[in-house]
Amino acid sequence: MRVLLVEDEPTLRAQLRSALEAAGYAVDDADNGRDAHFLGDTEAFDAVVLDLGLPVLDGLSVLKRWRDAGRAMPVLILTARDNWSEKVAGIDAGADDYLTKPFHMEELLARLRALIRRASGLASPVLQCGALALDTRSGRVTLAGQPVALTSHEYKVLDYLMHRPGSVVSRTELTEHIYAQDFDRDSNTIEVFVGRLRKKLPPELIETVRGMGYRLNTGS
Amino acid sequence: MTPLGRWTSSLRFRLLAATLAALALALLLAGVWLSGLFREHVMRQFEAALTLQLDQLTTQLELDASGQPVIDPQQLSDPRWRTPYSGLYWQLDQVSGDGATRGGVLRSRSLWDTTLPLKSDALADGAVHMHEGSGPQGAAVLMLERTVALGEQPGVRWRLVVAAETRQALEAVEHFTGVLTVSLLVLGALLALAAVAQVAVGLSPLRGLQRALVQVREGRSARLQGRFPSEVQPLIDDFNGVLDRNAEVVARARTQAGNLAHALKTPLAVLGQAATQALDAGDPANPRDTGPALARLVHEQVDTARRHIDWHLAHARAAAADRLPGLRTPVVPVALGLVRVMQRVHAERHIDIDATGLPGALAFAGEEQDLQEMLGNLIDNACKWARHTVVVSASSTAGRLCLRVEDDGPGIDDQARAAVLARGARLDENVPGSGLGLAIVADLARLYGGEVRLETASLGGLGVALSLPAAD
Repeated sequence: MRVLLVEDEPTLRAQLRSALEAAGYAVDDADNGRDAHFLGDTEAFDAVVLDLGLPVLDGLSVLKRWRDAGRAMPVLILTARDNWSEKVAGIDAGADDYLTKPFHMEELLARLRALIRRASGLASPVLQCGALALDTRSGRVTLAGQPVALTSHEYKVLDYLMHRPGSVVSRTELTEHIYAQDFDRDSNTIEVFVGRLRKKLPPELIETVRGMGYRLNTGS
Repeated sequence: MTPLGRWTSSLRFRLLAATLAALALALLLAGVWLSGLFREHVMRQFEAALTLQLDQLTTQLELDASGQPVIDPQQLSDPRWRTPYSGLYWQLDQVSGDGATRGGVLRSRSLWDTTLPLKSDALADGAVHMHEGSGPQGAAVLMLERTVALGEQPGVRWRLVVAAETRQALEAVEHFTGVLTVSLLVLGALLALAAVAQVAVGLSPLRGLQRALVQVREGRSARLQGRFPSEVQPLIDDFNGVLDRNAEVVARARTQAGNLAHALKTPLAVLGQAATQALDAGDPANPRDTGPALARLVHEQVDTARRHIDWHLAHARAAAADRLPGLRTPVVPVALGLVRVMQRVHAERHIDIDATGLPGALAFAGEEQDLQEMLGNLIDNACKWARHTVVVSASSTAGRLCLRVEDDGPGIDDQARAAVLARGARLDENVPGSGLGLAIVADLARLYGGEVRLETASLGGLGVALSLPAAD
C-alpha cells in the first residue's frame, strides 16, 4: 500500500514517515501544498495523510482540487485547530476522516487501515481468502490458523492483492502501490515476490492472467 | 423604570410638553389682551354716546321766566328718556354757593321717583366728570356729570347728570370673550395636533434607529443599517465604528488564540511521537533503561497539555462571545454539517443519525463555533456509544433553545452522571476536558447561561438535553 504523507513540520514528517514505513506502507512525502497536489494528481496512492496548515497552498484547497479532478483516494486530514468548523470544512471538502494534533501514532495507523479497507469495500480488519487470513492490524498472516512468515515485500504484495479479491491487478499497478516514487522500480522483482508467495501459500491462490497480471483466487 | 417614568423622560414628552406649554401661555395672553382691547373699545363708544346725550341735554337746559330751570321733554328724541327704568336717565341738581346740593330738581321720566345718588364734586364750569355707580333698582350705571351756570344767578350752579346702564355693553363684551375663548381653544387644539404630528414626523427616524438596533441585537445585522438625519448620522457612524472595532478585536483575539494553539500542537505531536519511538526502542526488562518511563511521562504530559489548550481555547472563545451583542447562529446548518462529519468519520459503525426533527427557524444567540463545539462533542459522543441510532432534535420555548442528542447505547447510570458533569464544575481543580467531552460542553453552556441535563433516552441509551439562549 502506498501512502502520500503531507506535513510541513520536518521532525513530525520524519517521525510519521518512519512509523508508516514500519507499518508496511510505501511512503511518498511532500512539505508544501503545491508539491502535494502534484504528487496526488499524478501518482497512484492508496491513502493520503494531509496536514491542513501547509505553506504555498493550504491543505483544504489541495483536497478540493483533487476531488474536483476526480481523485477519489481516501484522505485523512491532520488538523491542529481542534474545532468542529474546521472538521466540517474538511469533510465537506472531501476528506474521509480527521485526526487532531497531537495524536497517538497507533490511532493514525488504525484510522489509515480502516480508510484503505473501506475504500476497497471490506468491512472486517481481518481479510479472508479461503483458509488464508491477513490481519491488517497486526500484519500477521495465517493459513488455516498456522502463522506464515513473510518478508516485508511479500507482505506488501499479498496485502494489496487481498484488498482487491477477485479482480485482476497488473504488475505495473502492483509496482506503483508497493514502492514509493523514488524507489528504483523493476517489475521483474514482482514476479520474484509472487513466486516466493506461491511457495509459502497454496500455489493456486494467486492466478496469473496472461498478459494482464495477477488475480487472487477467492475459491469461487 | 415605571412606564410613566419612561414616558416623562422621553424625548417625545419633552418636545410635546415644551411646545404645548408655550402654546397654552401664548393663547392665554392673546385671549386676555384681545378681550381687554375689545372691552376698552366698547366702553369708549359707550362713553361717547353718553357724552352726546349730555351735550344734547345741556343745550336744552334753559331758565323759564320765574328763573327755574326747564328741559322740554319734547325736544329729547330718545324714547328711553320717557320709559320708566329704561336704563337711560338724566337728572338736574342744584348746587348752592356753600356747596349744599339739592338733588333731583329735574329728572327724566325714566327715573320715575328715584334719584341718582352722586357725591358732591367741585367741577369747573363745563367740565365733564365720569362716575360709576348704581342706578335705580341697583343696576350698574355709568354716570356723566357737567356743572353749568345759567343766567345771572350768582352762587347757584346747576349739575346735569346723565346715566346709562352698562349691562348691555358688558354683555356684548362677555359674548365676545366667550366667542374668543372658544376660538382660541379650537386654535389651541389644532396647534397641539400639529405639534404632535411634528414631533412624530421629527422623531420617526429614531424609530428606524431603534429597528436597526434591534437587528443588531438579534444578530441579523453586524452594523446599524440605513440613512439617518444629518443630526443623528454622526452618532450612527461612531456607533458602527465601535461595533466594527469590537468585532475586529474579537476576531483578532480569536485568530491569535487559534494560532497559538496551532503553533503549540505540532511540537506536541512531535514530542508525543518521539516518546512513542523511545518506548518502542526501550528495553522494559532492563531496570537501568529509564527511556520507557520518560516516554510514558512525556505521553502523559503531552495529553495534559493538549487538553489544557483545548479547554482554555474554548473558554476564551466563549467568554469573548458572551459579551458580544447581536449574535445569531441558525441551528440547522451547524447540526447538518456535524452530521455529515459523523456519518463519514463513523462510517465503519453504520450509525443511523436522524436529524430530521430540527425545525428550520431555530437559532442560537451565540457564536457558531461554540454551538459547533457543544453539539459536535455531544453527537460525536453519542456516535461512539450508540449501537445503531442517534437522534438529534431541537425545540424552543420562551427564548430558550433545547437541543437533544439521544443514542441507543449503554447510557450512564445516575451516580456516574453527576460525576461526569461535576468535573466541569470548577476550572481550577479538575482535569480539563473529559473522555466524554461532556464537561467542556457543560462549561460552555454555563457561560451562555444554559445547562446540560443527562437523561435516559427514549431509545434506551444516554439522552443529553442542552438548554441555551435562543435568538429570534
